[in-house]
Amino acid sequence: MKKSDILIIGNGISGLFAACIAADMGKKVQILSYGAGTLTIGGGIIDVLGYDDQGKFIADPLKGMDGISANHPYAKTGAQTAKKALEAFLKITEEEGYPYLGSPDKNLWLPTAVGNFKPTCLVPRTMDTEALFKADNILVVGFDTMKDFYADMATKNLRERLSKNKNVEEFIVKLNFEYGRDLRDISAMDVARWLETDEGHRSFVDQVKGHVKANTAIVLPPVLGLEPNYKVLDSLKKELSCALIEVSSLPPAVTGTRLNKMLHSCAKKRGVQIIEKARVVGSEIIDGKCQAVITEGFDRQRKFYAEQFILATGGVYGGGIIAKIGAMSEPIFNIDIEVPKVQTDWSYKQLFADKKQIFAQYGVSVDENLTPVAADGSKPASNVKVVGRSLAGYDFCYEKSGNGVALITAYKAAAAFCGEA
Amino acid sequence: MAINKQHAIDPDKCTACTICITACPVTAATRKFRGPKMTGPALTRLRKLVSDDDPMLDYCSNCKTCDLVCPSGVPISTLNMIAKNEYYKTHPRKSKADDMLAHSEKMGKLITALPLGSTFANLGMSVGKSFGVMGAMGIAQDAKMPSYASESFISKFKKIKQTPYPRKVVFFSGCYINYNQPEVGTDLVKVYQKNKIEVAIDENFVCCGSPMVSGGYIDDARVNASKNTALLKSWVDRGYDIVTACTSCGLMLKQEYQELFDFEGMAEYAAHMYDSIEYLAKLHDDGQFDTDFANDNTKYIYHAPCHLKVQAIGRPSMELLPMIPGIDIEEADVGCCGISGSYGFKADKHEIAMKVGSKLFNRIKNSHAKLGVCECGTCRLQMENGSGVKAIHPLTVLRQAYGL
Ligand SMILES: Cc1cc2nc3c(=O)[nH]c(=O)nc-3n(C[C@H](O)[C@H](O)[C@H](O)COP(=O)(O)OP(=O)(O)OC[C@H]3O[C@@H](n4cnc5c(N)ncnc54)[C@H](O)[C@@H]3O)c2cc1C
Ligand code: SF4
Ligand code: SF4
Ligand code: SF4
Repeated sequence: MKKSDILIIGNGISGLFAACIAADMGKKVQILSYGAGTLTIGGGIIDVLGYDDQGKFIADPLKGMDGISANHPYAKTGAQTAKKALEAFLKITEEEGYPYLGSPDKNLWLPTAVGNFKPTCLVPRTMDTEALFKADNILVVGFDTMKDFYADMATKNLRERLSKNKNVEEFIVKLNFEYGRDLRDISAMDVARWLETDEGHRSFVDQVKGHVKANTAIVLPPVLGLEPNYKVLDSLKKELSCALIEVSSLPPAVTGTRLNKMLHSCAKKRGVQIIEKARVVGSEIIDGKCQAVITEGFDRQRKFYAEQFILATGGVYGGGIIAKIGAMSEPIFNIDIEVPKVQTDWSYKQLFADKKQIFAQYGVSVDENLTPVAADGSKPASNVKVVGRSLAGYDFCYEKSGNGVALITAYKAAAAFCGEA
Repeated sequence: MAINKQHAIDPDKCTACTICITACPVTAATRKFRGPKMTGPALTRLRKLVSDDDPMLDYCSNCKTCDLVCPSGVPISTLNMIAKNEYYKTHPRKSKADDMLAHSEKMGKLITALPLGSTFANLGMSVGKSFGVMGAMGIAQDAKMPSYASESFISKFKKIKQTPYPRKVVFFSGCYINYNQPEVGTDLVKVYQKNKIEVAIDENFVCCGSPMVSGGYIDDARVNASKNTALLKSWVDRGYDIVTACTSCGLMLKQEYQELFDFEGMAEYAAHMYDSIEYLAKLHDDGQFDTDFANDNTKYIYHAPCHLKVQAIGRPSMELLPMIPGIDIEEADVGCCGISGSYGFKADKHEIAMKVGSKLFNRIKNSHAKLGVCECGTCRLQMENGSGVKAIHPLTVLRQAYGL
């Protein structure tokens, strides 16, 4: 394609969602991306805003956005846009046959792999955590040879955290996979593939059935299939007559992989052209407007032209922002990011301090339209908007807002480029 | 091993994010494979310290899906191939077929040089199978092997009368087109002539070496790379662009040579390399692509080869083919077909290859398409083998639409 209406750099959750929204509004959209996004290793759940700056739990994320600090991305989008964005996301999940649960104005408590709880907002139906609180009996199901999920620890912690009249028990499913020096360890992805087979399904049901009492909810690692649909969940639910709830868990993440597949399929259906392995190294800016971005590979540089550009390259982790000693910059549009000169100021002394990490909040500063603003206050390109993890002003890990910021800023940028305020 | 400065092989770029594990099709198909992160960057670091003994390496098919998703630019598959090469310097080969499959050009030359050679070879292949000869050679009993053409592409090419044009390309046909499917090469010449391009070939080109690298014969590939590099550079110096119609050849010549070897001129000629359809898509961008198509009411399903996906050129076939009036074409978009060049022909890998490809086979069957479309020769064979639906090169679709 010689020229697109909107060109998006990055195919993480923010890039893909922006693409779906813009394509829905009739735009010709192209994505350039070098490597997959964080989604494939993340939990695939949409945290919007779980804690405020003081670490206090927020029951209604939309309300929590009122009075948020001025440089936070949510201060630029506002609660109204946030609501629209999350509703648009819910609608897409519905259309794609992988509907999410939850509502933008209410946080849910989701069990983690070790049996603690974390706040989140939108979740797949495999994480219907309200069923957990309604059940009288909780059955924690582990798998005997699978790494990364310790059913005994989860059981112990759930027993402590849930009300005393709930009966929490543990059961370990035998996988009976082949073992040997020449075979690798078993991961949640292997178990998810197994549960997609008839053999796995039968074996699971046969082993677990006897332990399911009336009004039981099963808590298990994320293993209910790798595809973005509820086939595995629904068939197990039916045969076992109980709820099943996947915990949020460690990478490589089954639930994130599902959402990643869903968003890709959604973008492709809308005619979005995705060019993979295309590393964007620079841009051509004339009179304060970006004309094209430049990719570089083993052969030659290529220029990709567009009317408007969305920067969705993520944070330091995936190369979206480059950190050097005492300096930080966004490499494609060459935006300087203001950082303290002494690097030890970047992080609080204790890594897990009960405070937001300064380092985590670094990113590209933007104005109220998500247009980038350099350290000296200048605006390098008026037809560029920045979304997702590339943005400054928030610590997703501390406040639990990662995918929420990504979706909401992506929506705002795409809608604005399509003429919607 | 000489390391190219610009594309240095650096395992330390890995951040251990595990994204590659979620994408590797062989990891999904068998637990005999440890997965890209471990065999690639993690063990490479270890191998620098101690000599490693990792038979699991053999399972990496060099499909490069891991490279595609890695956000840190780790050349995972190439790290695996280098390690495989080292491993076989001190260990016996698992499969007797390795040598033959890696040096497919030798076989092609031999067979097409004999009068009626291809007929006997193709016959031999089926007779061989029924007597279990292939099995003894390490070839999977029920793998469908490529058949040989009675006349090579180079020989056919010499008989074609072309109209000279100022726009000139040299076509690196590769072994598969030369010995197995010469009609893809003649289709290229017809389609290019229609677009006012003159096509040259070079009889001194040798196999790109892709199957050698995948089979762990990097030293043999180096010999071929040295020959091809000098030739390709000289064509570019004379003002020619280079095109390939086999995505593995294209990737090898422009990327893997630069990763593995250090010959003068590689980066220079790579700047002028194009996939055959990408070249036409570029003409289209410049408003010079001929769209004088006849109707084609066929239903097609397109499969993008893994080795095309990592070239950062998108899907040029899905830009051009939908322009044919009446055409119904969709992209399969379900990942690797499993064959990875010659991987799926090996007796100990065939089952894995079929498992990897099963999603694609089902997708093709359920699409009710009349024909599959794919740029890679062995992918096409695997698509036919797995789904029963014949597959053709996009150049063939274009040639037909031009009524040629
Ligand atoms: C382990 C982990 C678990 C998490 N779990 C959760 C969770 O459960 N819930 C939640 O809400 N949040 C979670 N998060 C946070 C959340 O994943 C991120 O905030 C979010 O994914 C950011 O999305 P993004 O699209 O902005 O960036 P990314 O996902 O980082 O995507 C950036 C994209 O840009 C590409 N790119 C970068 N540079 C270039 C370039 N030069 N040229 C071309 N392409 C480029 C990258 O390859 C990538 O595709 C988690 C994060 C991590 C690390
Ligand atoms: S090249 Fe293919 S088979 Fe090998 S590790 Fe990478 S994804 Fe897996
Ligand atoms: S995707 Fe790249 S960075 Fe991540 S684990 Fe694999 S090799 Fe390492
Ligand atoms: S990659 Fe190309 S040149 Fe190499 S063996 Fe295959 S067809 Fe021949």
